[in-house]
Amino acid sequence: MSSILTVLFNGVAYGFLLFIMSVGLSVTLGMMNFVNLAQASFSMFGGYVKVTAMQSFGVPFLASLPIVFIVIGALSIVVERLIFRHFYNTDDLTQVLLTIGLVFMSIAIATYAWGGTYQRIDMPSWLTGQRDVLGLTLETYRIFLIAIGAAMAIILVLGLERTQLGAMVRACVDNRRVAGACGLNTELIFALTFAIGGGLAGLGGALSANLLGLDPNFPLRYLVYLLIIVSVGGMGTISGTLIAGLALGIADVMGKYYFPQFGGFVIYVLTVACMLWRPHGLLGRQT
Amino acid sequence: MKIAMKIAASLLVATSAAVLSGFGASAQETVKIGILQSYSGITSLGGQQTDSTVKLFMQKYGDTAGGKKIELVRRDTTGPNPEVAKRLVQEVVTREKVQVLIGPDYTPNTLAAAPILMEAKVPSFVTGAATTGIVGEKSKYSTRTFFAVPQLCKPLAAYAVKNGWKRVFVAVADFAPGHDCEKYFIEALKDASGTLAGNLRIPVANPEFSGYMQRIRDAKADALFIFMPIGELSIGILRAVNDSGLKASGIKIMGTGDITDETYIDAVGDAALGTITTGIYSTQHDSALNKEFVKDYVALNGAKPRIGWGAIATWDAMRMTYDALNAQAGAKFDPDKFAAFIHGRTFESPRGPITIDKANGDIVQNIYIRRVDKVNGVLQNVEIESFKDVGFK
Repeated sequence: MSSILTVLFNGVAYGFLLFIMSVGLSVTLGMMNFVNLAQASFSMFGGYVKVTAMQSFGVPFLASLPIVFIVIGALSIVVERLIFRHFYNTDDLTQVLLTIGLVFMSIAIATYAWGGTYQRIDMPSWLTGQRDVLGLTLETYRIFLIAIGAAMAIILVLGLERTQLGAMVRACVDNRRVAGACGLNTELIFALTFAIGGGLAGLGGALSANLLGLDPNFPLRYLVYLLIIVSVGGMGTISGTLIAGLALGIADVMGKYYFPQFGGFVIYVLTVACMLWRPHGLLGRQT
Repeated sequence: MKIAMKIAASLLVATSAAVLSGFGASAQETVKIGILQSYSGITSLGGQQTDSTVKLFMQKYGDTAGGKKIELVRRDTTGPNPEVAKRLVQEVVTREKVQVLIGPDYTPNTLAAAPILMEAKVPSFVTGAATTGIVGEKSKYSTRTFFAVPQLCKPLAAYAVKNGWKRVFVAVADFAPGHDCEKYFIEALKDASGTLAGNLRIPVANPEFSGYMQRIRDAKADALFIFMPIGELSIGILRAVNDSGLKASGIKIMGTGDITDETYIDAVGDAALGTITTGIYSTQHDSALNKEFVKDYVALNGAKPRIGWGAIATWDAMRMTYDALNAQAGAKFDPDKFAAFIHGRTFESPRGPITIDKANGDIVQNIYIRRVDKVNGVLQNVEIESFKDVGFK
């Protein structure tokens, strides 16, 4: 019994990890309808900013997280102003080609700046090891992931789906000209949303680097997981991303425990089944 | 105007021809060494390491051997990419006329290159591919200075049983070398009368290990044997073994040296402490030759990235190339004599004594059992025991 509960807990924690990693993409792809594969590169740079802040400037772990959010948010505004804003009205394929090119450039930049090797990730001792909770021995960092993932989900759902800002963003995406005619500063809103998406991606990288390893190839290695979670969850919904992350996370860990011979296969089978059942994702809107 | 142009052009041709032939007469004979490694993308560390080693070797022993000037021809294989490797081998052999080749890296590249090298009679060194049966079987001019998979996978079975860890759980990456290693280890475990507590094949794209960790824990094994390719899987599984509490439960963690490779062991961090691995080379190896090698390497190339197995394999390839060229000093380069000189040779490398098999060109070497310890605050693979002259089959 205890092993089942431990496996379930691990699955939930992995689900939150997937959510944290893909929520940035969910914001730009889902809410702004811009296919930004370079979101995975923002994650990688988030990881590097954290490592640099902690190792070169002695910033403690928790304090490094807001720094990552601000730095990567600012970086994404720069990239948005310089490059992306010229491509809002192009078709999906152009956006894919543009941003995958940026991913390759980011890999070269990271190799140049930080070297090709895997980074050492230091974790504070209070986040390592295991804790006894209700008779179960649970990994401390996974407890932390669940807590921070849940907090992010609540803030984002309330902030982006239930506030005026969220409504303004959706208005801009649905019909930019009318939104502009109604007096909305669409340029500012897009830049701001982009910064939030980028900052979240950076945060995802910073929080996952110690579990996933951090090297210049990070974006290509995990891009497919981001896309799976966002498309299974459905475009334009934070809660959909959360549900998809949790469902696939739990299925993956359970699958590996009960049917190890099928191993990593489970997550892909579920993705295909889900896309056949609901092509717009679990909570996606028909457009 | 036209005539003037013609005169100028012919003058130019004539003088350059004279200059070229003049150089040809005075220049000493050269030997071209091709270096086919990956210099770009995620595998670029391999090429970087090869270059650092070649640079060190030539700084130390000069750029001539046996009276011939050494000229290097470098090409980028871009990783395990047989089509690219084949094209590059053709290019360096037919156009650049290289006489000796270091590389290409990776098994698929090595297999793609072998027929060309055999036909063109180009002696080559396998410095970065570990699959069995890809050396003398494919080209009688090839020599392996790396290692063969069974060398690393077999010895730990006997070592574990001898130490009383009789029930062993085996976890390998789910790709061809992983399946090979699993087979070799389980066979050796049976021979040593140990028992298999269970086995797992883990997908090569796998960010999450907790389900596997719980399964291994349920099996209540004495030891866990791990084979993972170099990279994030090794980091991930060692961290998972530690974070999940599996290691604290008392199970011994063992594996091939890939999982604690010096180039990224710092990224694994203290989770790697105590891991027992088999290896062909550790910078901690206690010999005068190795101490000198490490000191010189760090002095020239810096302490990071740390020295890995690719460096030592390249070093030994250069050593043998120079020795073989010296042996045929004064004569024209002869690939058959070159290969015959190397095959069957025994010499002291910074890693310890090695022998190149006379018939096959594959390597026979000491395999070291190492434990990850902190030496002066740095994680190191410290050799605690050795198996002498382990064969490649």
